[in-house]
Amino acid sequence: MMWGRFRGLDTPHSLNYDLNPMAKLRIQFENGDPEKVIEFDPAKAPFHHDGRPGSILDVMLGHGVHLEHACGGNCACTTCHVIVKHGFNKLGESSEQEEDLLDKAPGLTPTSRLGCQAVIEDPDAEIVVVIPRYTINQVSEAAEE
Amino acid sequence: MTADPLPAGAGQRATLKARVERIFDHAADTRSLFLSLTSGKHLRFIPGQFISITIPLGDETRSRPYSVASDPEDRGPFEICFNRVAGGRGVQWMFERRVGDTIDFSGPYGTFTIDRAPAAEAGFMAEGTAIAPIRPMLRRALESSPAPKIHLIYAAPDREHILYAAELGELARTAPGFSYETVIAPAEEIYDRLLELAQARWVIGDADRMRHFYICGVGKGVIRLRDLLRGAGYERRAVHYEQW
Repeated sequence: MMWGRFRGLDTPHSLNYDLNPMAKLRIQFENGDPEKVIEFDPAKAPFHHDGRPGSILDVMLGHGVHLEHACGGNCACTTCHVIVKHGFNKLGESSEQEEDLLDKAPGLTPTSRLGCQAVIEDPDAEIVVVIPRYTINQVSEAAEE
Repeated sequence: MTADPLPAGAGQRATLKARVERIFDHAADTRSLFLSLTSGKHLRFIPGQFISITIPLGDETRSRPYSVASDPEDRGPFEICFNRVAGGRGVQWMFERRVGDTIDFSGPYGTFTIDRAPAAEAGFMAEGTAIAPIRPMLRRALESSPAPKIHLIYAAPDREHILYAAELGELARTAPGFSYETVIAPAEEIYDRLLELAQARWVIGDADRMRHFYICGVGKGVIRLRDLLRGAGYERRAVHYEQW
């Protein structure tokens, strides 16, 4: 089931949007993939089964947009590292565990978060994230010897 | 879930394929699979890392992490270890694998690792199958000369679930500086016992705050152990942990 919608779809849902504002997650890809925009109602979380309910990972997976999460969204790796370009303060606070992991994420920025932990709670939030080209232990190509 | 109408996002990893070479049951609910890459090559990983196995469940797939329990220097099949979880569909699928079956996975992943011996005395703590990443980490840490002093506290609800007991005992007899103790306690009391022991040995025991710690387990008890040690004055980045 897809709870949200992608911008530009001319469906009855887009009419509902005008009456019931929804949060917006804009996803940009450092590798050049086309930007995607998801509009959704945070109150309807969870949208998927991995990551904290309502997290960036949960929202993306629930709307058919892939984000790596090698540990299953359990805050045990950094493969879901995202850089928040807009709306950082609209996200739930990070835990010490998330901060510990982010310490080890390559390309760490002051607005880095783990997608599995960063929860979008505000129904009016507009969040812009960049998915880095590289995440830690990107060694699949070199995992065999 | 509907099918994804969009191209996949960034960073999807290459999938590797492994064959189940051997199955070993530690207990009725705890199993190891020994896997070989179908490419004939050897899996390269750092002690402590995990692989992410693709598990088909109905009309969808899920990725679930399994720590590598063997040593990267072993040239044979690599080992993963897991136990049954009530209602765990993914692990049920894992228990249904047979010798000769193939498994798709990506990785290795994870930053809870040791690629060289800690610079100071180290304390390790684990419970049940969470010994899996600790096992190769210990071996790597003890390879250096001189090896640092290392103590492992390993907990389980009964003796049957103390995995690799003979190997750990042998290591304690032969590896200078290595010692370990086991804790047998009801599951709901395991972390209380680990906290008591950690406090007695590493908090009240002396004023040394230069140790490194490696903690692996399930649930919030791991966080309680982390907070105990950091709160006692150990440097934040010297307290490593992996919570499942």
